[in-house]
This record gives sequence, C-alpha cells and structure tokens, in this order.
Amino acid sequence: MQIVTIKPTKEIKISTEVENISPDKFAGKTEQEIKSLEAWIGNQKMTIGELFSVKVEGSAPAADTKIVMEGDFSRVKRIGEGMTAGLVIINGNVDMHLGAKMSGGKISVKGNVDSWAGREMKGGELIIEGNAGYYLGAGYRGESCGMRGGKITVMGNALDFVGEHMCGGEIIVNGNTGILPGLSNNGGKIVIGGNTSRPGSEMSKGTIIVNGTVDEMMPVFKLEGNEAVDGVTYKKYTGDVIVNGKGLLYIK
Amino acid sequence: MELLIKNGSVYDPSNGINGDKADISIKDGKIVDKVSSKATVIDAGGRLVMAGGVDAHSHIAGAKVNVGRIMRPEDTRSGIKPRTKLTRPTTGYTVPNVYAMGYRYAQMGYTTVFEAAQAIMKARHTHEELEEIPIIDKGALTLFGSNWPTMDFVREKNMDKLAAYISWGLLASRGFGVKVVNPGGGEMWGFGKNVTSLDDVVPNFDVTPREIIVSLMKANEMLGLPHSVHLHCNNLGKPGNYKTTLASMELADQVKASRDRQVLHVTHLLFNSMGGTNWGDFESKADEVANYLNNHDNVTGDMGQMIFGSATTMTADGPVQYANAKLMHAKWANGDVELEDASGVVPLYYIKQVSVYAIMWATGLELGLLTKDPYKMLLTTDHPNGGPFVNYSEVIALLMSNKKRQEEIKTVHEAVHSKTRLPGIERELDFSEIAIMTRAGTAKVLGLLDTKGHLGVGADADVSIYDIKPDQIDPSVEHAKIKSAFSSAAYTIKGGQVVVKDGQITATPMGRTYWVDARVPEQHTNEMMKDIVKKFKNYYSIQLANYMVQDAYLTHPKVVKAGAIPVEVR
Repeated sequence: MQIVTIKPTKEIKISTEVENISPDKFAGKTEQEIKSLEAWIGNQKMTIGELFSVKVEGSAPAADTKIVMEGDFSRVKRIGEGMTAGLVIINGNVDMHLGAKMSGGKISVKGNVDSWAGREMKGGELIIEGNAGYYLGAGYRGESCGMRGGKITVMGNALDFVGEHMCGGEIIVNGNTGILPGLSNNGGKIVIGGNTSRPGSEMSKGTIIVNGTVDEMMPVFKLEGNEAVDGVTYKKYTGDVIVNGKGLLYIK
Repeated sequence: MELLIKNGSVYDPSNGINGDKADISIKDGKIVDKVSSKATVIDAGGRLVMAGGVDAHSHIAGAKVNVGRIMRPEDTRSGIKPRTKLTRPTTGYTVPNVYAMGYRYAQMGYTTVFEAAQAIMKARHTHEELEEIPIIDKGALTLFGSNWPTMDFVREKNMDKLAAYISWGLLASRGFGVKVVNPGGGEMWGFGKNVTSLDDVVPNFDVTPREIIVSLMKANEMLGLPHSVHLHCNNLGKPGNYKTTLASMELADQVKASRDRQVLHVTHLLFNSMGGTNWGDFESKADEVANYLNNHDNVTGDMGQMIFGSATTMTADGPVQYANAKLMHAKWANGDVELEDASGVVPLYYIKQVSVYAIMWATGLELGLLTKDPYKMLLTTDHPNGGPFVNYSEVIALLMSNKKRQEEIKTVHEAVHSKTRLPGIERELDFSEIAIMTRAGTAKVLGLLDTKGHLGVGADADVSIYDIKPDQIDPSVEHAKIKSAFSSAAYTIKGGQVVVKDGQITATPMGRTYWVDARVPEQHTNEMMKDIVKKFKNYYSIQLANYMVQDAYLTHPKVVKAGAIPVEVR
C-alpha cells in the first residue's frame, strides 16, 4: 500500500491544471519524484512540489495507491484524469474535469465538484458527497459519446446537462438536477432522486428515471402506460420520437 | 546554393530510373547536370530516393475545411503540438489547422498538394488559408459543374462563352483547373432534390449532367489547360452507382485531349465503384471500373482509399451529405453557395466490423491493384473523406504487401470475402509503381510533369529520401518498416532546401500557389461578361468588384499560361 497525502501550501487563486495527480502517475514514486511532476498554474509551468506539500508512505503499484487530498482544491482541474486504478480521496472542493476519461479505480469527494466531472469516463467509480456542476458525465465539446462506463454517484444536486451524449454506465443524482439531463443520450442509465426539467431530449437509447417532479416535459415522448422498476411504479415513456429513439423515460 | 545527394537508390520512373544508384545535383532550386565541389553533400547511403510527393486531390483549405474545424472541436483535441522556435502550433487529425497541413505533408516527403474544390465565391477564403500553409507548393481546383453561367452556356451550346467563363472563373478564383462535382446536383439541392442519372434534366436550366460534363471537357481542351476536367461523379455513395461512373467515363471518348494526358480524371473512385441495389446487397464493382481504365487511355482515376477510424467527409455534393447524416445520425453542416454550388460536411467513424465499411475499404485497394497501369490510378485518401492524408504510408504498405492485406482482412467484417475480390488478389506493387501513384502519375495527370514528380534535369528540386534500402528489404514481409519509413521521411528537400530531416521540420520556407492564366479572344470575354454582370445585378449577394481574388491574396504565385486553341471533336 502506498499512501500519498497532498495539501496546498498556499491559497490557489487562479486556474490550475494538474492531470498528474493520479494513482497511475504516483505509483511507486518517491516524494521527490512526485514533487517534480509537471503542473500548470495559469499560463505558467510549475511542479507539484511548488504548489502542494507531498507526503508519501510506502510504495506500491497504482491499484494499491491511495491519494488523500486535504484542503481547498476549488481551482484545481483535471485531478485523476485518465486514471485506471487506485483510490483518490478529496476532503474539499475541486474544480472542473475531475476524473475525466478515467477507466478504473475510485474517486471520492467530500465537497462539491465543478463542471465536467467524469467527462467521457469509461469505467471506475466517482462518488461526490456535495453538489456537481454542469455536464456531469458528459462528452466534451463536439464529442459524440460522453460517459461509456462506470458509475457516478452524487449525494447533492447537479446542474444542467447531466450525462449529455452518454453511451453507457450509470449516473445517480440523489438531489435535483438542472434542465436537460440525458440530452442526446445513446445508452446508459441516469437516476434522479429529486426534480428536473425537460429530461431525455434527443435521446436515442438509454434509460432515465426521475423520482421527483418534472417541471416541464418535452413533447417528444410517447406514454406507454405504467411499469414497475425495482418495486416502484412509474409512468413509462419512449422516445425521443423525432430521432426515432428507443430511449426509456420513467417518471413517478 | 548547391546540393548533391550521393549514393541514393533512385526511383524516378518517368525518366526510366528504377532503383539505380545515382547522384542528384541541385542548384538554385532546380535539378541540374552537375554541381561544383563546393556543394553541400547529403549521403543517402543506399536509401530510397524519390521526387517530392505530389497530391492531386486533398481538401486542405477553404470554406468547408473550416466548417469541419468549427463543427469538430473534438478533432482539435488530438494532434496537439506546441510551437517551437521554428514551427507554429499544430492541432487536429482529420481537420488539422493550416500549419499542420504543411508540416505533416512535408514530413511524409510530399512537396506539392492541390486543394480539390473551391467555389469561386469562396476562393478568397481558400487563398487566405493556402497563404498560411507552410513549405509545400499548392493550388486549388475551381468548381464549375453547377454554376448558373456554366449551365446557361451549355444550354445555348455556346462553347466560346463557356471557355471564356472558365478562363475568367480561374482568374477570379486564382484556380488551377476545372472541378465538377455532381454536375447539376448542386443546383437541384437548392430545391431539396438531386439528379439521379446522366440524363436527368436540371429544372430551370434545361440541361443534363451528360451535357454539362461533355461541354466542360470540350471547353477545357479548347483552353488547353494543364489539367483535365476533374470529375466527382453523379450518384456518389449510392449502391449501384458504378454504372453511372462507367457511363461518365465513356463521355471522354467524345473529346480529344489537347495535351499528353487524359481528358477526364474521375476522382475518389472508391465512392463511385459501388454495386448492388441497396446497403443490404451492396458489393464492390472495382473490377468493372478498373477494367474500363485498363482498356481506355483517355481517363484516369484516384483511389480515395478509406482508412478505418475517424474521418470528416466534406464535399460540394450537398445531397449526398444530407443522406449520410440521416443514415448515420451524424452531425451535419449544409452550405449553399448562391449561384455556384451546394456543400455539406459530416463527420463519420469507419468501423472495421461494419460490412459496408469493410467492403469500401477493400474496394479502394482493389482499384489500386486491379488497375494495371499505375499512371491511371493515383494514391489518395480524398483527405479527409476517406481518411486523413497522414495515413498514405498505411495505404502504400497495403499495396506493397499481400501479407499485410491478408492480416488486415482477418480483422475486418467477413463481407470482404463475399462482396469483394480483394482476398484473392496477389499483386504487390513495387517502389516504381508507388513512385508513379504518388509522384510521376499525379504530376502527369495534373499536367505538371515538366517540373514536378520527377528528378530529371530542369525539374524542381523537390526530393524525398526514405529510411529504407530497397535492395535489402522485402516489402511483402517487412511491411511495418515500409509504413514507418513512408510516414516520416529521412529528408525532404523542397526547392533545393532541406525542410525535413529525420522526420523533423528543419526549415519552413513559403511554398508557391499555382494558378492557370488561360487566355481567350477578348470579344468572347466581353460577350460573356454581359451575362455575368446581369447575374451579379439580379442574383448575387455581393458586387462583382468584391468577387475577384486580388493579387494581394497570392504572395508567391506561380502562373501557368494556357489559352484558346481550336478543339477537335470526334
């Protein structure tokens, strides 16, 4: 087991990109090696050591590497990008692109995350105890597939466009979401505990389950009657009929 | 500035040199007989030496390329390289930024590339981009197939006016040749329709695609343009379209060439060699098309080879792009160029396990292998329609190695066995044939064989050296080495200057832009301009004075002169 503890040495006020914070990059490395990894703050190239304090215990491959991040990371982007294994625990808030393109391992956040968390994620697990921003598990600009696999759980709320262009995997938001969850979906499953608006527009495949109220319904779904999912009865819709979609939308 | 390339294993097929050890002398940007002892020496050490690559059909600049960039931000995320002291930043794979176009072609040993389609009205945009593409020489073919003046003059059977319009259109767009895309279809797409055969009548103009193609070929030969008519056939991308393609090729018999070249170049034949009646019974008819080319000397073609993976299809063929977008649920951009043409851009992803794509992939290779004379079948990927040009090395390796083809066939959909002949083709091309398909043949088809595509005295000093020794390699077995060598030249020399060494850019000179100044009798131009002025007054959204590409847009022009000569009609 390798445990790496990271803390900001000073308050980070401007946008910082550190895709090198990942079990794959830290595994088997010493404190000095980790400190010398690249980080960008604004338009300046720096190292992890110049921004954060790093403490390393033990040495292990990525699967047995745990990164514990203490403090405020609300301007730090791309944490855990592309990670394939291991564990990242963040006791604080983080900025955009958390766990983007990750294919394995687990990230757990105590605070809130900004937009694009779990962007184009292929596998692994992302647990967010606070709220999520826009485009949770979505595809970045122009991409035809967002999330393809894995699981995202949000305890709080999420903003608009949850799981846009999703092609697989599962997103669970216990609270409310903004407008258009599951926009242009082509697979996967989205479960919303609270309220939302205009779910499933342009979806061709996939499942969306809404347990709260739907403020506004897109007039592109066909009501198929009632159906029980996991013991709860929902109104079942299929669509989006405009794109000849086979998507399933369950609304309580 | 003198340069001497020693000990090369030279392949220069148009001069009859096939792998002989020869020295190449370069002085002031040209290939010369000999140089003084002060010349800088490059020791090729027995490695493969060819003329700089020439590409006759690639979409590298202009309005639709830029639409591709705008609608594919995800493509821009690949191929990113920051600037260096010498080079500017590059981005993209299927629709790279302008700098990447020049660098990547040069890194493959290519030195001359022609943009395959510009509408006259959009030509300023094309030239603004061409001006920013470093290193390579370039030019652009101008669209004439669905232009209102073209169809008016064809209907009036007024060849003098048509020739005058082409001459003026090439000047207005600083274009190099006559490109015809789905003749008549561009106009009909404005009404949501398309032409489906050579004999459909275009409404409001009362002409057929057959008449448009023949008239443009005649006018092209009247003007004695360096390049022939460059045709993107009707019905492209539809099962069963090989019949339209063959019928279009037959039209070339009605016109006699004014120069030592074809009278019709039919482009990206992969998309025009389709059999069957629908996507269910779709099959390759590359053998029929290749057979026609084998028996006729007045038509040439290029492959338009498909590369599995990401592609961005872009064409002036508006209706086919609408069909593509609907069929694939893909992103779609549609364009209308007022009196001239339509256009469409659709990103696609070619998957090996999809039968249609597997058959199309095999069709392209069949065309390359079944056409006996490589001068008649050029190597292209119709960048970025079949796939990005950076994959030419993959195509070369496939053409040179049956072993590689058989390995690939195992990984693609089984339809390739029943619907194409590729698995049974054993032919393996040699270095000479590759040099023809990528250099001598392309230059000949373009009408530039005097200075491009060969290494004889007087040619432009465009040379590429690849890191393989032809006498020590068996391309059939060592296809991986072939692919890696052709993807990254050991040396690229452009105009006598080393621009690439060991795959790295070493200099970024500005290339020239070719365009054709074709003269016609002044009274023909005056007559024709009366119609054009009327068109601008009544229909165009811009003024005639703002339409022409000015000289300021071409800082390094290379003007090729041509002019009216009597046309012989058989």
